Amino acid sequence: MIRVVLVDDHELFRAGVRGELGTAVEIAGEAGSVAEAVPLIKKLDPDVVLLDVHLPDGGGEGVIAAVAPERPAVKFLALSVSDAAEDVIGVIRAGARGYVTKTISSDELAAAVQRVADGDAVFSPRLAGFVLDAFREGARVGDDAELENLTAREREVLQLIARGYKYKEIAARLHLSIKTVEAHVSSVLRKLQLSSRAELTRWAHERRLI
Amino acid sequence: MTQIPVLPFERSGHDRVIAGVCGGLAATLGVDATLVRLVFALLALAGGAGILLYFALWAYDNGRRRWQAALLVAAAAVALLLALGFSGSAVVGAGLIVAGFAVVLTRGGSIRRGGSLPVLAIVLMMAGAIAVLDNIGTSRSFVAPGAVAGALLLVLGPWFWQLRNERVQRIRLEERQEVAARVHDSVLQTLALIQRHADDAARVSAVARRQERELRRWLYGSGVGGAVTLADGLADAAADVEDLHGVRIELATAGDLPLEESLEPLVLAAREAMTNAAKFSNADEIFVYLEADGDHVAVFVRDRGVGFERSAVPADRRGLAESIEGRMRRSGGTAAVTSAPGAGTEVELTLPRAAP
Repeated sequence: MIRVVLVDDHELFRAGVRGELGTAVEIAGEAGSVAEAVPLIKKLDPDVVLLDVHLPDGGGEGVIAAVAPERPAVKFLALSVSDAAEDVIGVIRAGARGYVTKTISSDELAAAVQRVADGDAVFSPRLAGFVLDAFREGARVGDDAELENLTAREREVLQLIARGYKYKEIAARLHLSIKTVEAHVSSVLRKLQLSSRAELTRWAHERRLI
Repeated sequence: MTQIPVLPFERSGHDRVIAGVCGGLAATLGVDATLVRLVFALLALAGGAGILLYFALWAYDNGRRRWQAALLVAAAAVALLLALGFSGSAVVGAGLIVAGFAVVLTRGGSIRRGGSLPVLAIVLMMAGAIAVLDNIGTSRSFVAPGAVAGALLLVLGPWFWQLRNERVQRIRLEERQEVAARVHDSVLQTLALIQRHADDAARVSAVARRQERELRRWLYGSGVGGAVTLADGLADAAADVEDLHGVRIELATAGDLPLEESLEPLVLAAREAMTNAAKFSNADEIFVYLEADGDHVAVFVRDRGVGFERSAVPADRRGLAESIEGRMRRSGGTAAVTSAPGAGTEVELTLPRAAP
């Protein structure tokens, strides 16, 4: 069974997730802050960490930065109600394998945990929209090509995710295998995490100005 | 007759130079006694008005000898006006205006806008004003006007300063009240609603989601009030449809635009598409995706419901033909509907973006 650590500062929300996921996965531990989460995750070495984007003493980014170098096998799945695109993208860039909103149904959440544990990326429609926005062609100026461009296919896949299509539906629509769709999503995730910081910082800054 | 309230003025027992009047006044007004003394000294230069006023306050002393005090104040005012170079009739005019105000005070009228004024007061004030305006003479010396100006500056300066500080504090307080009001109007009301309908899961979840949207927009978005961006407009429409039909709507966006009038048809058509999906598809979740880039705006509304065959839709169903397709056509855009029985429905709305 997949071992999961829950990191969220809302006790009530953790209790809810524990109740919903209790049978599908093993909740190995819980933490309510960055300071609690870091030693706990290092000690328990879980398969997946369900991570709130916003924590009282820093963000989910802080947890990933402190844990990932020592525990590269631990996968992070961001979970938030936050609507701020730059916060969500920040956690993804720090190394989270996906982002889902807290309104997700328990079945879908269990499936997302499973997918992340298997090494896949989990893009909710909202995250797909944020990523498309971050890679938007108009967002870059001049010949500044630091942010590696998405291929037309990757863009197409992301757009279908944003429109509410599941991987299986995307595969059928684009006449691809599900594995290929997953590969495209993972490739987008990699580009997002490897591209230099300056471009996305500017994007985040521009978003604040809208 | 209205009771004129007793001013809480008392001569100071310990802070005194002559009779403790200045010290007492300073304590009442909450200002420095030296400042009060300076004002009185300057007013004393203006025809002795300061001295008369001092005696008036001494006589008043917590409302003990009001009539003597009133007479002395009147004498001080006359001395001041004469010293400033007003002629005798101007002083009479000023007296009439003051008498007019006194009538207002005692008869319970109001000099504020919309308040009623007793006729007697109007007559007195008008006669006074005419007398004053007719007789503004030139000042005989510069000492008295200069002294009065100095006194005014000393009195009003700190008052303005205090007013400014109060304003800053008031703004802070208003902000806090605004937050409290918002939390009360929205969050607390929602929590109350949830408690009352705890057994109605669909309703609770709809109410909670609506609240989440509102709060989130207030915290991260464009603030309170009407929607200012296209994404806000769509979020509003989605929240309404969620409330009315008990479905869940997932809204994703890439890019956004200010909500101009030309984009209204797009929001309305999208809302109609969401409503149709909520009413006819039997799906419990609807996906809405907004894409705004360089030269076009597109909104996708999708469900995984029962779907339909276009030819099977009765011709009198105006929702799709009029509210979605017709509306988009009239505003220069397009609407494409993809649906098949059992395969869900997707409505794609596009609008070319006007050149900036």
